[in-house]
Amino acid sequence: MEDSALEPLFVFIAYSVSTIQRSFNALPGSAVIVRYVKSSHQNDPFRTILEAILVIFAIRTLLQSRTRSDTTGRHFIKFTANEIDELVDEWSPEPLVPSLNEAELADLASVPVTVGPPGPKPKLQSTGKTAINLASYNFAGLSGNDKVKDRAVSVLRNYGLGSCGPPGFYGTNDIHLDLERDIANFLGTEAAIIYSQGFSTISSVIPAFSKRGDIVIADRGASRSLRSTVRWYDHNDLNSLEEVMQSVAKEIKTKRWRLTRRFIVTEGIFENDGAMSDLPKLVELGRKYKYRLILDESFSFGTVGRTGRGLTELYNVPANQIDLIVGSLANTLAGCGGFCAGSRIAVNHQRINGTSFVFSAAMPGMLAMAASEGIQILTSTPSILSNLHTNIFTLRSILDKIDCITIPSHPASAIIHIQLRDPIEPAGNGLPTTARAVSRRPSNPTSLVPRDLVVFDIGAEEKLLQEVVDEALAQGILITRARRLRGQEALEPRPSIKIAASAAVSKKDTEKAASILKGILTKVLGKK
Amino acid sequence: MTQPSSVFDDSDVADGTGLIIPLQPPSSAQVFHTVHSEFGHCDNQLQRHTSRHPLGVPLERTEEQDPPYYILITTYLSFVFFICLGHLRDFLGKRWNPELYSHLIPSDGYAAFSSDFDSFYTRRLKSRLDDCFSRPVTGVPGRTIILLDRVSPDYNATFHLTGKHIRGLNVSSYNYLGFAQTQGGCADAVETSIGRYGLSSMGGRMEGGTTDLHVQAEALVSRFVGHEDSIIGSMGFATNSTTIPALVGKGSLVISDEYNHASIRYGVRVSGAQVRMFKHNNMEDLENLLREVISQGQPKTHRPWKKILLVVEGLYSMEGTLVNLPAVVALKQKYKFYLYVDEAHSIGALGPHGRGVCDYFGVNPRSIDILMGTFTKSFGAAGGYIAGPKPLIAALRIRTHAGSYAEAMSPVVLTQVIASMGSIMGVADSPKHLEVSSSASTSTIQANGLRDGSEGRERLRRLAFNVRYLSRGLKKLGFITYGHEDSPVIPMLLFNPGKMLLFSRLMLEWKVPIVVVVVAYPATPLVTSRVRFCLSASHVKTDVDMLLRACDEIGDLLDLKHGHVKERWTVDKIIDNALQIAKDASFS
Ligand SMILES: Cc1ncc(COP(=O)(O)O)c(C=O)c1O
Repeated sequence: MEDSALEPLFVFIAYSVSTIQRSFNALPGSAVIVRYVKSSHQNDPFRTILEAILVIFAIRTLLQSRTRSDTTGRHFIKFTANEIDELVDEWSPEPLVPSLNEAELADLASVPVTVGPPGPKPKLQSTGKTAINLASYNFAGLSGNDKVKDRAVSVLRNYGLGSCGPPGFYGTNDIHLDLERDIANFLGTEAAIIYSQGFSTISSVIPAFSKRGDIVIADRGASRSLRSTVRWYDHNDLNSLEEVMQSVAKEIKTKRWRLTRRFIVTEGIFENDGAMSDLPKLVELGRKYKYRLILDESFSFGTVGRTGRGLTELYNVPANQIDLIVGSLANTLAGCGGFCAGSRIAVNHQRINGTSFVFSAAMPGMLAMAASEGIQILTSTPSILSNLHTNIFTLRSILDKIDCITIPSHPASAIIHIQLRDPIEPAGNGLPTTARAVSRRPSNPTSLVPRDLVVFDIGAEEKLLQEVVDEALAQGILITRARRLRGQEALEPRPSIKIAASAAVSKKDTEKAASILKGILTKVLGKK
Repeated sequence: MTQPSSVFDDSDVADGTGLIIPLQPPSSAQVFHTVHSEFGHCDNQLQRHTSRHPLGVPLERTEEQDPPYYILITTYLSFVFFICLGHLRDFLGKRWNPELYSHLIPSDGYAAFSSDFDSFYTRRLKSRLDDCFSRPVTGVPGRTIILLDRVSPDYNATFHLTGKHIRGLNVSSYNYLGFAQTQGGCADAVETSIGRYGLSSMGGRMEGGTTDLHVQAEALVSRFVGHEDSIIGSMGFATNSTTIPALVGKGSLVISDEYNHASIRYGVRVSGAQVRMFKHNNMEDLENLLREVISQGQPKTHRPWKKILLVVEGLYSMEGTLVNLPAVVALKQKYKFYLYVDEAHSIGALGPHGRGVCDYFGVNPRSIDILMGTFTKSFGAAGGYIAGPKPLIAALRIRTHAGSYAEAMSPVVLTQVIASMGSIMGVADSPKHLEVSSSASTSTIQANGLRDGSEGRERLRRLAFNVRYLSRGLKKLGFITYGHEDSPVIPMLLFNPGKMLLFSRLMLEWKVPIVVVVVAYPATPLVTSRVRFCLSASHVKTDVDMLLRACDEIGDLLDLKHGHVKERWTVDKIIDNALQIAKDASFS
C-alpha cells in the first residue's frame, strides 16, 4: 500500500525528470533558470506552462486510478441493472467469524485473571487465593518497583498520562528522547527508536527496510508476514542457514539479479520454544555472505548477560555488529512498547518509514520513564539478574529430570517451554510417528515445512497440558500454556507450557513450585 | 529528565498572553481543580453547544473549493523545482562529496540501506520542512504545550536543543476532551492506581497479563459505545492491523475508503483479502462499486465472495470529514456487507453524549458490526478497542495476534480510560444490572463532578462550541477549509509547500506563540498541503479569538485567503458575533 501511495510520486519524478532532462543536458546551469522561471511565472515561455499542465494531467490520471474500477478487463461480464439486483439479492455472505468451538471456548475460559498487581504472588479472580507467579514476564522483578512508582507519580503530575499525538506531531517529549538515548547507551549502539507496542515493533521494522526484490532469510521458528523474497532455514540450525545462503548466492548468479538488500531475521531467544541463537556464528555468516542481521531480542533483552543487555553481552559481541536489534520494553523493564537499536542511519530511516512509528501515538511518558528507570536499575544492581539466573538454574535442575517431557529451551532462557516427550498421534489419519525421525534431506527453503516434521494432535496435547496448568493453579502455582493462534500460523508450533522465571520469586518458592510441578507433570502426563 | 520545577517555570512568559493567567478573571470552582494553562477556565454557559446531526436530514457532501489557478501552478512548479534541484544536488554531491552519500551507495558487497530513489522525497523535499516536524515537547499536551527550542546548524541534518522552553497555545494534540491533565479527578485516579497496580501488566492477555481492570474497562467500553462486548488492546494501530486479518482472508473482499488510515491498510494487506477502494466518502461511487463486485464475484473465477467488509473511519483526521453513516447503514441493509467503523478520532469527540458518529447521527450502534476506536485521542490515554457482538469479540480474543502475543494494556492507562470515559457517561446512578462496570468506575472516580457526569457534559459542550466557532470563523475570514463544521479537526489549505514552513514558523513566532501541525504529501494529495487545527474542550473562547487573529494576519501575509463565501467578515466582526456564528443552525 505504502508503495502504491508513493507510486504517483515516483512516476511523477520519472516523468518530470525525463521531460526536463533534455533541457538540462542542453543547459548546464538550468537550475538557475528554473528558479528564475518559477519566481516570475508571468513572463515564462509557453512551453513551461504546457509542461506543467502535462504533469498535472499525469498526476490527475494517476490519482484517479486509485479508485477507478476495472470495467474493461478480459474477465468483466456486463450485466443489466436488473440482473445485478438479482445477484445482489441472491448473494449471502458467510458469517463474519465462525463461532468458537468447544475447545476454543474452554481455552477462553481458562485465561487467568489477576486481581491487583501482577507481582510474585498475585491474587486470582477465579479462586480468590494467591499463587506463586511463574506466568508473568516479570523476569527482573521490576513490576511494582517502589522507586518507579514514585517517579511515575511525579511524571503524572508534570506530563499527564497520554501523549495525545504521534511522535512527528508533538508526541515526542524529553522522556522519550531520554529513553532512546538510554537504550542506545545500554546496548552500545549509535541510536535507538521506540515504538508504542512491543509486539508491533518487528512487524514494522522489517517492512521499513525490506522492499520488493530484497531477500530475507528467516528462521522457521520466527514466522512473520513479509513481502520480500523470503527463504526459510531450519529452526535454529545455522548449517541450514548457510546452505540456504549458498543456494541464494547461486540463484543470484544464474539469474543475474541486481544487488539487493539481504537480511537474516531471527530471534535471540525464540518465543515459541526458548531456544537460543548462536550469535557469533550468525554474525560471521552474515559477514561472509553480506547479509544484514535483524535480531529480535524480545525475550533475551533484559534476561541474559550479566546486566541483561542480551545476547550481545552474553556472547561478548559488540552490538554495532548487528544491524538492527529489536526488543521489548514491556517484558523485563515493566514499561510498555518496544525498541529498535542500530546505526543512526538505520534508526532515522524508521522515523519516516516505520509505519507503526509514524502513524501511531507516542507511548505515555510515564511508561517510557519506567523503561528508562528499569535500565538504570539493571545497570546499577547486577544482583537482580544473578538472582534470575539462579532461579532459572533451580527450575531447570528439577524440571530437566522429569521423564515424560522435553524442554526445547536453552538452559539460560528465562522462559522455559515444556512439551510432551512423545507426541500424541492424530487419531485415525494414519500418519506414522516416524516423521519425527531425522531425515537427511535438506528442507526446501521456499517453504515453511521443516525438515523434521513432527506430527502431533494439537487438541489432545493442549488438553493434557491444560490439565497440568489447572492442577498447578489448584496447588498455588500460576503457570500458563503458550497460547497460539491455531490455524493462522503458517507453521503450527508444538503445544507447550510456558514457565517464566522471575527474580522477584524467592529461591525457596521457585524450588517449591518446581517440585510441585514435577509431581503434577509426572502424575498427569505419566499416566497416559 | 527535566525536573518538575523547570517544566512549570514560566517566569519568562510575557504577561497578558492569557496562556498562564486567564484574561478574564476566573469565577469558578475550576480554579481549585484545574490549571488554566492545561484546561482553560471558562464559566460562560453561553459558550456551549451540542454536537448533533439533525435527525432525518441527509448529510450534505462538503464540496472542496479549488484555489485560483496561479496557486495550483506555482504549487506544481515548486515541486518540479525541488525535484530538479534535488536531482542536481544528488548528481553533483555524489561526485564531489561521496562520503555524505555512502549510505545510499552499495559498498563492500552490501546493497545500500535505502536506495536514493526511495529516500529522495525524504532527503530532498521533506528535509527542507523538517523544522515543522517532530518538534520535541515537554510537560502536558493540554491547552498549552511547551516546546523544547532547537536549532539546526546544518540545514536540518541535525538539531540541537538550546535548553530554552517555548510555551504556546496547543492546537495540535488530539486532546479533544481535554483529558491531558496533571490535575483533576482522572489524574487522582491514576495516581491511586500507580500505587496499587504498578505500571505494567507483565504479559499477554491470554498468558497472565489480564487483571481485573481489563475486565472492568472492557465492560465499561462496551456500555459506552453501545455494543455487547469489547476487547482492549495496548495500541490503536495494532488493534486495526491485527483485527482485520482475523476477520477476512483469501476469498473475502475489503472495501476501503481511499483515505483510510495506514493501520487499516496495513491490516488489509496482511490479511490476504482482496481490496477495492472507493472515492472518499462518495456514496454513489461506493454503491456502484458494491454492485460491480457483488455481481462480478471474485476475479477470474467469478465465484461469489465469501464476505465483504466495508471499512470506514468515523472522522477522517486529515480531511475533517465525517462518514455518511446513515447512508452507509442503508447500503448495508441492501448489500449485506459487514461494516467496520474506525472511530479513532470521533469517539468522545462527537455526538451529544460523546459516543462517536453513531451518537452524532442517531444511528443504532448495534446496526454496525464492528466499532473500533482508540483511547489516544479524546481520553488522553493509549491503546484501542474493538466492540461488537459477544460471539465475535470472544472469537477475536482467541484469534488475533495482538490478543495472543502482544502485551496487555498497562493498568494505569486502563485507569485513565475508566476514569475519563466513566466521567463522560456519569456512573453515579448506574442501573443495577451494570454493576460490574459501574462499581469499578465509581470506585475509580472520586470527584463528584466526574461521577455524576456533569463535568464530562461540560467538556463535550465546550468542544462543540469551539469547533463550530473556529471552522465557521475561518470560512468567514476567507480561508479554504475542508471537512465538516462539527469536526474537531479543521484542515485549512495552504497549497504551496513553502508556505507550510512559513506558516508554521510565523504562528510559533506570533505575539502569542501558537503551535500548529502542517501536513503534506504523502499524507495528503500532492497539491493540498494544509495546516491542521485540532481543537479541544480545554480551549476557551479567547483562545479561538487569538487563533483567528493570528490566521487573519498571517493569512494576509502569505496570500492564503482564496475561499468563496457570501460575504467576508473582518476578524473583529467575527469575534464580536461568535455566539451567532457558533450557534446558528445554518450559518454561512
Ligand atoms: C483512524 C485511525 N486509526 C487508528 C489510529 C492509531 O491509533 P494509535 O495512535 O492509538 O495507535 C489512528 C491514529 O492516528 C487513526 O487516526
